[in-house]
Parts: sequence; structure tokens; C-alpha cells
Amino acid sequence: MITFALAKGRLATESAELLARCGVDTAVLYEETRKLVLTSADGNYRFFLVKPSDVPVYVEAGVADLGVVGKDTLIEEDRDIYEMLDLGFGECSLCLAGFPERKDVLTSPALRVATKYVNTAKQLFQERGEDVEIISLHGSIELAPVTGLSDVIFDVVQTGSTLKANGLVVLEQVFTGITARLVANKVSLKTKSAEILPLIAKCKEEVA
Amino acid sequence: MANSKLPAGVQDVLPRECSILTGLKLKLQKKFSLAGFSPVLSAGLEYYDTFSGSENALPEEKMFKMTDTDGKLLVLRPDTTLSIARIAATKLGQDRARLSYFADKYDLERAGGLTSREIYQAGVECLGEEGAFSDAQAIAFAIECLKETGLKDFIIDIGHVGYFKGLLEESGLTPNAAEGVRACINRKDTMNAERLLQKAGVKEDALNNILALPALFGGAEILSEAEKLTKNACALGAVSHLKEIDRLLVQMGYEGYVSYDLGMIKPLSYYSGIVFSGLVKDLGAPVLSGGRYDNLADAFGKHMPAVGFAMGLKRILVALERQGALPEEQKPLVIVAEKGKEAEWYRAFLEKTSRGERVRLSALTGEEGANKEREEGFEVLYMGGNA
Repeated sequence: MITFALAKGRLATESAELLARCGVDTAVLYEETRKLVLTSADGNYRFFLVKPSDVPVYVEAGVADLGVVGKDTLIEEDRDIYEMLDLGFGECSLCLAGFPERKDVLTSPALRVATKYVNTAKQLFQERGEDVEIISLHGSIELAPVTGLSDVIFDVVQTGSTLKANGLVVLEQVFTGITARLVANKVSLKTKSAEILPLIAKCKEEVA
Repeated sequence: MANSKLPAGVQDVLPRECSILTGLKLKLQKKFSLAGFSPVLSAGLEYYDTFSGSENALPEEKMFKMTDTDGKLLVLRPDTTLSIARIAATKLGQDRARLSYFADKYDLERAGGLTSREIYQAGVECLGEEGAFSDAQAIAFAIECLKETGLKDFIIDIGHVGYFKGLLEESGLTPNAAEGVRACINRKDTMNAERLLQKAGVKEDALNNILALPALFGGAEILSEAEKLTKNACALGAVSHLKEIDRLLVQMGYEGYVSYDLGMIKPLSYYSGIVFSGLVKDLGAPVLSGGRYDNLADAFGKHMPAVGFAMGLKRILVALERQGALPEEQKPLVIVAEKGKEAEWYRAFLEKTSRGERVRLSALTGEEGANKEREEGFEVLYMGGNA
């Protein structure tokens, strides 16, 4: 049996569709249920739908063999797991964004940055030698500059429509090519290779 | 009330778990001793400088530090292999040594799940020896030790740092850039490895060879595949060394216990040859880790090529539990003395223990005491008469 940890939210539908194309019985993912552990009818696959930032945690611990999660989360979490495939979908970039007329804030001495990517932001500004105040938030990051909580935000930008609706613009694209990735537990890949490797090969064909 | 909390990342080991852990230790101690290893115990506190030296440095953020009365920086045992290389090179006065240890090592960095900040390890180091037969013996002994613990369904996954080193030679990468690429390859992240290699201007041939690494894992057949990919002498030397080890292991009867992964390039900078990990199906993290470190003792003034490995005993315990292989809890027999005949029953207790029986002499006495012990679920020896 292969166990998947799948990220809820923007990647969920496409992850399920890709797995279905690879021959995984994903019908159970579409059932309306409050169960947290979903097992396919044939008993060959098991799924956990978890918060994106939790996917690498489940995979690192080996509770899940494989996972589908955004590269943004992988950068932020920095877990000891294998990153097997770039699945290509869910493309976005990690950007610094703020008000257009205040672009100079990027170089102001005590820039306040609101983000849910705290580790990544810390590392980024440390590498640049800039002292900033990082404000850790968990959602609706765009609200921070609008309300004056922060000067800028560091967040994923897909279409930019939320930014636009709140009068914000991208000031700098820091990481581009952020897409969904297939990740694997380091031990499962070796000890369950007979089950896992053919599936990865199929995924690779599908996304090629 | 006094503070009863523990800092993050450490645990108390309670009697049930501790008795199994001790049992594991006893089994392995015997195994090590019978195979000719001599036990050592390195000091728990050492100078920071010992572990921060230029070539074999451990990452600063992984070490617990404190200051000595003279202001020198100390660390809480961050690695045992390095200490044993130090002991062998400076204190034993011999060119070869096979040493074993049981010790805690400490890791300041993130903990959680299967990763603790206090890691109880059992390990062996074979110092002053080299060659494929030495490596094959170390791997074979790793297999025997894991068998001894009672684990089933495990494999030893083997790599060789020489293959990656050879490919790096061809690429002309700076050490800094190489470390970035190593980290990517070790997590099989070809996309970022490619980005780094392109940024560094690595030629297409060398680039493609390095990018092939993450897929080079599986049975012994991948060794022949790896051989075809490169003409670099160092890389080819690594592959032919692995082939020789595989031939030996097959002849020694360990086919089916090993797999190969040339993309396994561990972060510890002191590894110089083979590297290996013990993997169990029921656990998401390795239970054993080892490799060859030929130049580690050089820093202590003596060249002693060496190979060794360490097992994480608490992880093995978790794996055994998941495999349903933990021994049943054995309660001792309880002797309850008759009032006024305590000394007589004490002698009876002593005699039983000297025969190897597990008994406890109760502090309670008489019929009342016997009943109380029975109520708590113990098998009681009380005859209310002669011992």
C-alpha cells in the first residue's frame, strides 16, 4: 500500500487528476466525508489531505510515502525528503509586494515584512544583509500593508488579482517557477521501490 | 513544586522502554565483543576546537556549547566517530584498532518526530584498515547487528562519495558551489541542481552526468550503468570498488540485504569512500548510518584509514514496536517474608538470584503483605512457614 499526503487548497484538484491519469484509484477523494484517512476501494492507496505546510512533515516522518506539495512550502520547511518530480502545475512565484508609490521602502532601514514564509524571508534578508522586522501571519497577507501592519509582504503570487484588488503591486519576483512537486520519503523510496518507482515513472510520463 | 519539565527534544526513558533498550544493548555488547571489538567511552565534554577544525568541521549550529572556567569553549559530545579517531590516533599507540561504543550524542538543531536532540547510539569503528574486504566486513557486520536486534525487512543502502567527487572534478565547480549541488543531489532535487550547475557554467557532459546521479539507485545492476556514464578515473575507481564489495557480499551470503545509491552523498565532510544507511520498511528514517573516513585521524597527527557505523537504538526500538517484535513485559517473582523470619527469607532470595532467577524481596511481610503484592498483579512466593 502506498500512502499519499496531499496538500489541501490550490493544488488539491490537479494532484488528484494527475494521480488518476497515472492509474491510481482516486474515487475516494471525491466522496463527501469527514474522514481524515481515505483508503481507495482496491485497498492499494491511502490518502491524507493536510495543510500544505504539513505535507513535508508527514513525508519526512515516513507516515506518508509520497506527497504532492508546492515548491514554496518545500523551500520554507526545508525537510529531509526526496524531491522526485516537478509536476508543472500550480505555477506561481514568491514575491515582495507593496504599494507602487512607496517602492523605496525596500531599502528603508527597518522594513516591516508580513509573510507566512518566515524562514525563507529571514534567510533572504540575511543573505542581503538587510535588517528587517518579519511579521508572521497565517492568511490574508495582503491585509497587512493595507492596514499599516507592514510595509511590504512576501508571498506567493499566481495571477496577481488579489494584489490588484487591494492596490498592491509586485515589487520584486524573488523565486520564480514555483510549481507542485512530487516528494518521497527517503526510506520508502528504497524499501517500497517495487510499488513506488513504477508510479513515479508514470507521473514523469504524464507531466513530460 | 519544583519544575518537572524537560527541555524540547529530549525524553526520559521509563522502565518498560528502558528494560528493552538495556536488553538491546546487552545483545549488541556481546555481539561486538565476540567479533573482537574493544569497548571505549570518549569524554562527554570536549573542546569546541576539536570539532570545528578546518577540514572535518561539524556544523556550528548542531553543537551544544558552554564555557569552561578558563573561558574556553566546550561542547557536549556532538559526534562519537571523531572522538574515537582522536583516541585511536593519540592514545592507543597502535596502527590498527577495532573499537566499539555505546554513547549519547547531542544535536542542538531542530528536533521532532523521530529526530531527538539526545541520540543514544551503539557503534563500531575499524581503524587502520582499508580495502574492499574491510568495507565488505563492516557492511556484513552492520547486517548481523541489525539481525541481532530482531529487526526484519531491512536493507543496507550503499553509496560512494568517490563517484560524486569524480564527477565534480570534471565540472570544475568551486567548493562552495559543489556543496550546494551536493545538497540538491542528496535530496534528489535535479531541477535546482541543474539551475546551480548552469549558473556555474558547467559543460553539458559533466552537467548531464551529475544530473543522472539521483536516478542511480537500485540493485547491483546500477553499478554497471554508472560505469558507462563517465570516464573520470576517480568515479570509475569508486564503481569498481563497489563492484568488488558486492562480489564479496554475495559470496558471504548477503545478497538481498543490500542496495546501491550513488546519489547518496551525506553532508558530513569527513566521509571519504563508501557511505551506507540501514533502512527499515516500517520506519521513515534510517536506523543505522556509516561509512569510510580515511583522513579523519590525520588532524590528530596519525594517518589511520577507517570505516565504521552507528545504530540509533531508540529508532530501532520504534521499528521493533511497529513490527510487533517487542518482547513481553516480564514481571519478577515476589518473595514475601514471614514476620520474624526476614533474614531466612533474605537468604532464600539471595540463593534464587544467584541461580539466575529474577525475583524481588518485598519490603512488606506476612499474609497481609502477600495479599497486597497479589492485588498488584505479582506472582507471590509466600508459604507462611519455612524458607
